[in-house]
Amino acid sequence: MTADQRVPLVAMHGITKRFGAIEALVDVDLHVHAHEVVALVGDNGAGKSTLAKMISGVLQPDAGMIEIGGEEVALPSPQAAHALGVATVFQDLALCDNLDVTANLYLGRELRSRFARDDGRMEESARRVLRELKSRIPSARTPLRNLSAGQRQAVAIARTLIGNPRIIVLDEPTGALSVAHTAEVLTHVQRLRDLGLGVILISHNMNDVRAVADRIEVLRHGRNNGTFDAATASYEDVLAAITGAVPLGRRTSSRHIAG
Amino acid sequence: MTTDLNTVPAMPPGERARVPLSQRLQGLGGNTRQYGIFGALVVIILLFQVLTDGKLLLANNVASLFQQNAYVMILAIGMVMVIVAGHIDLSVGSVVAFVGGVVAVSIRDLDVPWVLAILIGLALGALVGAWQGFWIAYVGIPAFIVTLGGMLLFRGLALVIVGETVAGLPASFISISKGSLPNALGFVSNADVVTLLVGTLAFVGLLVSQLRARRSLRKHNLHMEASGLFVAKLVLVAAGIAILTVILSFSAGGTPIVLVLVGVLVVVYSFVMGRTVFGRHVYAIGGNRAAATLSGVNTRKVDFWIFVNIGVLAAVAAVVTTARAGAAIAAAGQNYELDAIAACFIGGAAVTGGVGRVAGAIVGALIMGVLNMGLSIMAVDPAWQMAIKGLVLLLAVAFDLINKRRAGS
Ligand SMILES: Nc1ncnc2c1ncn2[C@@H]1O[C@H](COP(=O)(O)OP(=O)(O)OP(=O)(O)O)[C@@H](O)[C@H]1O
Ligand SMILES: [Mg+2]
Repeated sequence: MTADQRVPLVAMHGITKRFGAIEALVDVDLHVHAHEVVALVGDNGAGKSTLAKMISGVLQPDAGMIEIGGEEVALPSPQAAHALGVATVFQDLALCDNLDVTANLYLGRELRSRFARDDGRMEESARRVLRELKSRIPSARTPLRNLSAGQRQAVAIARTLIGNPRIIVLDEPTGALSVAHTAEVLTHVQRLRDLGLGVILISHNMNDVRAVADRIEVLRHGRNNGTFDAATASYEDVLAAITGAVPLGRRTSSRHIAG
Repeated sequence: MTTDLNTVPAMPPGERARVPLSQRLQGLGGNTRQYGIFGALVVIILLFQVLTDGKLLLANNVASLFQQNAYVMILAIGMVMVIVAGHIDLSVGSVVAFVGGVVAVSIRDLDVPWVLAILIGLALGALVGAWQGFWIAYVGIPAFIVTLGGMLLFRGLALVIVGETVAGLPASFISISKGSLPNALGFVSNADVVTLLVGTLAFVGLLVSQLRARRSLRKHNLHMEASGLFVAKLVLVAAGIAILTVILSFSAGGTPIVLVLVGVLVVVYSFVMGRTVFGRHVYAIGGNRAAATLSGVNTRKVDFWIFVNIGVLAAVAAVVTTARAGAAIAAAGQNYELDAIAACFIGGAAVTGGVGRVAGAIVGALIMGVLNMGLSIMAVDPAWQMAIKGLVLLLAVAFDLINKRRAGS
């Protein structure tokens, strides 16, 4: 891709989404460049997962526009989003307990041989992916119901390595993980950035956010409530934007980018 | 060390020992649960063989076991897919009566050649399935309700079309259920050579497919079960096929035509459920519908085709049933849905969906069939037969559940 570095990989403009009377998102903007990790933070119910689901094609905005690689796109389904290079770890993981690890990694994007599934090829690369992630998963054939919460999360993250995604959306990917394994996931996120991907990381853990994010975007009550440079932002400022101690009014009073 | 081949090598060596035994066994045997059902079938056969003084396995009884139960096996194949996807279909019995009626009326009153009438019946079955699939998949009405409605709707239509009975069907049509493959190659000391040949072909086909699966695993450098176990399994299967083949070769007709039909369906649908993307998606939907949707599985489309499919299989069962009775009867197919559902659950399908196999459902149907036949030979009162079958269903599922709890999953 020789696209201008300044053309964002994903750009969302004026996204609005209502669920009945609830305004989950109002006029939200978000963009992610290649080689960039953007942390999306906010209180419970701020609308983070709703925004993530729009990039993933699970939900469609009531108003607003989504661009991928500078072109306006319609994302009517998860398949459509995946075809455009979006890979997502959903907050509730979206795994099938009755299927084994390989089947879960390839669910919805199975490899085919002439007449059937190519189970051999899928299992082979599943093992490679698990090895790359240094995940402690007993076997690519273990049914998901036999895995611990952390192992399941590792499988969900490994799913994003299948195919050739350009944009990775991680909705609370480290919730159930030990300190050591969280560190591995964060290293993985950095590796994705080094590979030139764009990453959206949703997290409640400010330590994780500070460790890997380049930029922090705050959502509050479904609205943008501040943009921070992760390297320089103070913990108190971000927290204030999350909790609303900073007056509402995006990108003017609450813009804290240093440098 | 064999199980470790399957383990992700990056794991520190110390961790390997921690893989629980149950998990190792799963890697080793594929599906231990499946062996349990086969074992139960063998035990029940042996039990009734003793209780009936050896009459159960008389050649003609074995042949009619298949002729009597072909409809359950055909319906159970469709039903297990429905159940794995987390649905249920209560309408198949009525669909059997309805489609059977249309086929019989086409042959007798409209002078349609019977082969064409069967094709019309299959198309009608697909249409019935599409009708129910539409309401379930695209409108989102629970299958229980839609097919409960279908049960009444199609029973009513069957009554309208058939009246009471439509008899006088051609002998060639009737032979679908009552006939056997022609004994074209003569006999070797009273054994039908065609039957022996069919049995041999069935085994060779199975052997080739198993070897190919193994070769594919080896190609990708993946874990295979130990060759000793593999050979032992093949020997057991070969023995089973050989016994069945030899017994059938001495029956009055040889190989029942419906046995060939069921055999082909079992092979095709085991492949569909076990080896295709569609089959994988059926399991995924039953395991976690929301996750399947988020992962990009077109769950509506899969649901729709599952019901089209069981509609077609119900039409096949309708042809078999009508041919066996020699007539279409408006009351045909009563309780067939319950037979098929029972076969699936005895065969290891889970009520919650996501679990179940074609082979299991067939074995479940055979267990019920052997019970029926054994109790009939023993001249047990039909009322008691029914009660016993009810208990067997309950015990089979209870046994399965207790087993699972003990395995801790
Ligand atoms: N499918 C839905 N139907 C109705 N309301 C919804 C739906 N999904 C989300 N909402 C509402 O939209 C708002 C935003 O929810 P969302 O899940 O995006 O929050 P979140 O920022 O991810 O919160 P958390 O940190 O708890 O995960 C909430 O008020 C929620 O109740
Ligand atoms: Mg959320």
